[in-house]
Amino acid sequence: MTDPKITDFESALAELDAIVKTLEDGDLSLEKSLELYERGVQLSRFCHSTLEGAERRIEILNERGEIKPAPPALGLDGDPAARK
Amino acid sequence: MSDLFSQPFEPDDDERAPEPGRGERRVVSVSELTSAIRGLLETGLGDVWVEGEISNCKIWNTGHMYFTLKDRGAQIRAVMYRSAVRYLKFKADDGLHVIARGRIVVYEPKGEYQLLCDHLQPHGLGARQLAFEQLKKKLQAEGLFDAARKRPLPALPGKIGVVTSLDGAAVRDIVNVIGRRHPNVHLVIRPTRVQGDGAGADIAEALRSIARVPGIDVIILARGGGSAEDLIPFNQEPVARAIAASPMPIVTGVGHEIDFTIADFVADLRAPTPSAAAEIVVAAKDELFARIDRQARRMRASMGGQIGRARARVHVLVSRRGLAAVPARLALRGRHAAELTHQLRRAATAGLARRERVFRDLRARLEAREIGRRLAAYHGRLNAAGSRLDAAMRRRHAGASATLGARAARLESLSPLAVLGRGYAVCWNEDHTTIIRSAAAVRPGDRVNVTLLEGSLACDVRSADAAHRSPQPPDQES
Repeated sequence: MTDPKITDFESALAELDAIVKTLEDGDLSLEKSLELYERGVQLSRFCHSTLEGAERRIEILNERGEIKPAPPALGLDGDPAARK
Repeated sequence: MSDLFSQPFEPDDDERAPEPGRGERRVVSVSELTSAIRGLLETGLGDVWVEGEISNCKIWNTGHMYFTLKDRGAQIRAVMYRSAVRYLKFKADDGLHVIARGRIVVYEPKGEYQLLCDHLQPHGLGARQLAFEQLKKKLQAEGLFDAARKRPLPALPGKIGVVTSLDGAAVRDIVNVIGRRHPNVHLVIRPTRVQGDGAGADIAEALRSIARVPGIDVIILARGGGSAEDLIPFNQEPVARAIAASPMPIVTGVGHEIDFTIADFVADLRAPTPSAAAEIVVAAKDELFARIDRQARRMRASMGGQIGRARARVHVLVSRRGLAAVPARLALRGRHAAELTHQLRRAATAGLARRERVFRDLRARLEAREIGRRLAAYHGRLNAAGSRLDAAMRRRHAGASATLGARAARLESLSPLAVLGRGYAVCWNEDHTTIIRSAAAVRPGDRVNVTLLEGSLACDVRSADAAHRSPQPPDQES
């Protein structure tokens, strides 16, 4: 089975939910269950890395439409982006 | 009768004034006249809004309220029935400047007219309230508040747009809350004025421009608490239109727990404060992790269960006596039943084992994730352990240094220089290649070199007596 590409967090989470439900409900063959399970593992890994992958950034969009890093005063503790 | 009133009114005329035109005189009764007046006033004027100051205000025990509305030049008596008084949102009192809505009624038995008031509101606030109600009604009629228009928020926003003032506490609250709930989030703040003239247009422009930033998938529109006056821009049509036109969902966190602004009605979601808006937009990272891990565990459990059941079934099948008996009965090509049973069992268990292996691998990959997160927690402990290790190493190093010092001291004591320090000297041959340990090695006239602690001497041997031995030769010194 070729897995469709995992595109975004939201649909990955939804698909993971669906797989859990199918696995719990279903009278699937062992082979089919394993396939689903593998897909579930992929999805869960994707969600994890998406959650961890984002980096913290605070930016200011000014009236000329330019995006600049926020002044340090806005960045609070532990914000490397704003602290520069 | 209406032509009675269409005559120009001339105060100078008295009753003796002759009828213009024909000499015919039309006399009406008081009742007729009053009735005509009533018709004119009641149907001619219709609903009126009138502004003035309340005086002589009194609520009778019937619950109806009687008062006079006046300004500098005139006054009018007014009544408000109990059914309308009930809905008053403020206490009508003498001296209060109000706007009243109602119609004129004429009380014929007394020849009096008065305002039958069905709505009363304080002036000033009233004008604004009126505008608010009108805009609210209009937008509602257009369907801008419909529940069907409200969009769901993304579970994990890519970029969050924030439209607010940089001056207030609102922006700090939002940054704080979001930082606490999900440390790695991307915020794009579009500063705007949130109060004063033109703030409404500024907010609308800010909403439009932040929506053009690629990747923004939810917007927070916020301002800290303020007076009703401070919230005016959020009740203006341009802001409402900009919210309605936004391509991504907007969460408002404006002011005040209780007051709803027009912006709140149009927004996809309304939070009572900026902090609450931030909390709604960013689901706590931990909650999301917990949800994923919970699903992973459930998945593992049901998979493990299925494997376990399959194993049990295989076990039951292969150990059943009947199975062993079948091949025997078939007597396939003379093969031994036991052998065939054995092969069957092997095939069944091997197939299962293969699947179990796949499961174990996958399961390990799944758990690695959770372990990866636990690792983060171990990181702290690891760091602590690291510094303890450092301290231990330093202690050991210090110990080693001390030992080394002692050894070095011993080594020092063995060094020829130390011996020289005690007054001994070393005697070399002339070329400095051999130490002379015995007088027999030299003859009178030879040249020798003597090394002292400080400096050396070049000496000529006058005599050499090999018979005398020094009691403790320098090279045996310990």
